[in-house]
Amino acid sequence: MQLISLPASSAQFISEWLFGKKTIPFFTRLKNGIPSVLISSFGLSLLLKTNDLSVAVFAAVVSIASKYIIRINGRHIFNPSALGIVLSIWLTGNAWVSPGQWGSNAVLFFGVLCLGFIVTTRVQKLDTSLAFLGTFAGLVFARQIIYLDWPMDHFIQSVSTGSLLIFSFFMITDPKTIPGHKTVRIVWCAAIAVVAFYLSAFKFMNGAPIFVLVLAQPLVPLLDSFFKANKFEWVPSKACTPAEKKFLDTVYSRSFM
Amino acid sequence: MKKKLLIIGGFMAVSPLLFSFCGFYVSKADGTLKNKTSQVILVRDGNRNVITMYNDFTGDTKDFAMVVPVPVVLRKADIKVVDQSIFQKLNDYSAPRLVEYYDENPCNDYKKYKEDMMMPSGTAMEKALSGKVAGARSSVKIEAQYIVGEYDILILSARESSGLKTWLLANGYKIPANAEEVLDPYIKSNLKFFVVKVNEKEKQKLNSNFLRPIQISFNSPKFMLPIRLGMANADGDQDLIVYAFTRKGRVESTNYRNVNIASNKKIPLFVQKNFGAFYANLFTNQWIKEDKSVAFLEYSWNVTPVNPMKCDPCVGNPPTEQDLVQGGVWWLGNKDWTDYSDVDNEEPDNGSTNVHFTRLHFRYNRESFPQDLMFQVTPNTENYQARYIITHPASGDLNCDAGKKYLHALKQRRKKN
Repeated sequence: MQLISLPASSAQFISEWLFGKKTIPFFTRLKNGIPSVLISSFGLSLLLKTNDLSVAVFAAVVSIASKYIIRINGRHIFNPSALGIVLSIWLTGNAWVSPGQWGSNAVLFFGVLCLGFIVTTRVQKLDTSLAFLGTFAGLVFARQIIYLDWPMDHFIQSVSTGSLLIFSFFMITDPKTIPGHKTVRIVWCAAIAVVAFYLSAFKFMNGAPIFVLVLAQPLVPLLDSFFKANKFEWVPSKACTPAEKKFLDTVYSRSFM
Repeated sequence: MKKKLLIIGGFMAVSPLLFSFCGFYVSKADGTLKNKTSQVILVRDGNRNVITMYNDFTGDTKDFAMVVPVPVVLRKADIKVVDQSIFQKLNDYSAPRLVEYYDENPCNDYKKYKEDMMMPSGTAMEKALSGKVAGARSSVKIEAQYIVGEYDILILSARESSGLKTWLLANGYKIPANAEEVLDPYIKSNLKFFVVKVNEKEKQKLNSNFLRPIQISFNSPKFMLPIRLGMANADGDQDLIVYAFTRKGRVESTNYRNVNIASNKKIPLFVQKNFGAFYANLFTNQWIKEDKSVAFLEYSWNVTPVNPMKCDPCVGNPPTEQDLVQGGVWWLGNKDWTDYSDVDNEEPDNGSTNVHFTRLHFRYNRESFPQDLMFQVTPNTENYQARYIITHPASGDLNCDAGKKYLHALKQRRKKN
C-alpha cells in the first residue's frame, strides 16, 4: 500500500486528460491536483489493507476517477479515499480495514499531526472533525461508562484509536464532499457519528464510520440545494490578485477534493 | 555460498506451556489461584463460533469452579468435551521454529545430507476442578443445567453483579475482590455466565486424572474473548495463545495493534541449545518495544487438509482433518442437515473446505489491556511463521582456494551476525 500514490497519480493523469477542463493548461491542472491526490493516497494507505497489488491499484483508480466521473453541479459527490476503501472491500473481497492497526498509543503523534493539518488548511473545517468526534465519543462514553460501568481506560481505548482519529481529521473533513452550510454540516456529521456508533456498538461492524460516510454523501447535494452557503475556497484570497483567484477557483473546482 | 538445508529443528515456543481459561477461577479455599498462560481455539465462520478452552488448574480440585462469560444460553448439544491432545498438536505444529542449515565444504565435490527432527518435549499438566452444584438465589437465575463429560455445567444469568457475587459467596466460593467491577459491565451487556465444576461421579468413570477441554458452540456476531474477567485473579502478565481457524483467512485483533513477531532472523549457533529461552527473551523484548498493547502473530497458513504445503519447514505434524474437526472446524465434518442452528447465519455455509490457521500470542495485564479482545476475520491469506535460522560452518579440510575464500566469507558473516 506504500506505493499507492503511484497508481493514484496515474489515475489522476488519465482522468485529468480525459475529463479535465480543457481551458486550463494540462500540466497546470495536474500540478494543482497533486495535493489532493496525495491526501487521497494517504487516506487509502493509512486505512485500507490488502495483499494484492491489483486491489491497491483498483482502490487508487476508483478514488481518483470518482472525483472526475461522479459529479453533481460541478462537484464530486464521494470522498475519494472513503469510496475507494468501501468499493475495494465490497467488490474485490480481498481488502479490509484494521481498526486496531494504529493502536491507541499513537494519540499524541496523530493529535499533533492532525492539528498541524488543520492549521495548514486555516481551520476551515475543524467543526466537522469536532462534530463527528464529539458526538461519537459522547455516545461511546454514555454507553461504556454511564450505562455499562466500564472503567475510564476502557473508554479512552475506544476513542483514541489511530484509525478513528485519521477518519475524523483526514477523511470526513474533505471540504468538497460535506454540506456547505455550517449548521447543516454539524448536524450531518453528528448524524454520521450516531449511525456509525450504532453499527459499531450493536452490530459489531468494523470501520463503520467510513461506510456510513460513503452512504451519507449522496445526501450532500440535496442538503446544499436546500441550505445555501458560500462556496468553499481552499486558499484565502488575501495572497492572490483577483485574476489569480479566478484562475485558482476554476482549477480547484475541478481538481481538489 | 552454497547452503543446504540439513536439519530442521522445532522447539516449544515457551516451554512448558501451562493452560488456563480466560474466565476466572472461583476458589473455596483460601489458597491463591493464579492462571498464567491460557490456550484457546477459536473457530469462526459467518456468525458461528466454536471456542475450545483449556485450563491449568493447580489447586485442590474439590474447591474450584470456573466462570466464563458467554453471549447466549447454550444448549446441551452446544457443549462438548474434547481430547486434550489437540492443544499439544496445535502448539507443536505452529510454535516458533528453529531452522538449521549446513554450509557445504567448497573443497568437497560430494553432497551430504542429514536430517534430524527434534520434537518438542511434552508438557505435564495437573489440574482439576470440583465443587458442588448449589441452589440459586433469587438474584441469579439458572438458565440451564447439564452434565457434560466429567463436568457439571450451569448457565447463569444475573440482574446485577452483587447478585452473582452473593450467589457465589452463598455457595461457599471466594471470588477475587476486583471481579465485581467487570461482572457489572458483562451483566449489562446481557452476557450469561457459564459455571463449570467437576462431577466427581462422572470423573471417576474416566481412568484419567486430566480434565478435558470444554468446547462450546454458539451463533453470535460478537467475535471476542473476555480476558478482563481473567485479570481478576491474575497478577502481573498473563500469556494467551489463540489458535484461530476460519474459512477465509487470517484472524486479527480489531482493538489492539497487530504485530508480526520478528522472524527469519539469523542467529548464532549457541542459541540452538537454549532456543526456548531465546524465544521467550525475543518475545519479551519485542513486547516491551511495541508498548505491550499488541497482538503478536506467530503463525498463519492455509492448513486445508488437501493442501500439501502447510509450512516451510514443518516442525510438527500438520493437524489432520480429524484434529481440525476435534478442534471445532465444523465445516470439515459431515454436514448435519437436521441442524438448523445456523439458519440465522449471515454468511450461509458455502460448502468450502478451506481452513486458514492463525496463531496469535497475547501477553496482557490490566494496565495494557483495558478491553476484552475483539477479533475479525480478514481475507488475508498470506503465510507467516516465526522462523529463526542457524548456519553450521562447513567441516573437513578447507585447504583449497575455494576453502580459503569460504573461511574469509565465514568470518565476515559472523561479524555481521
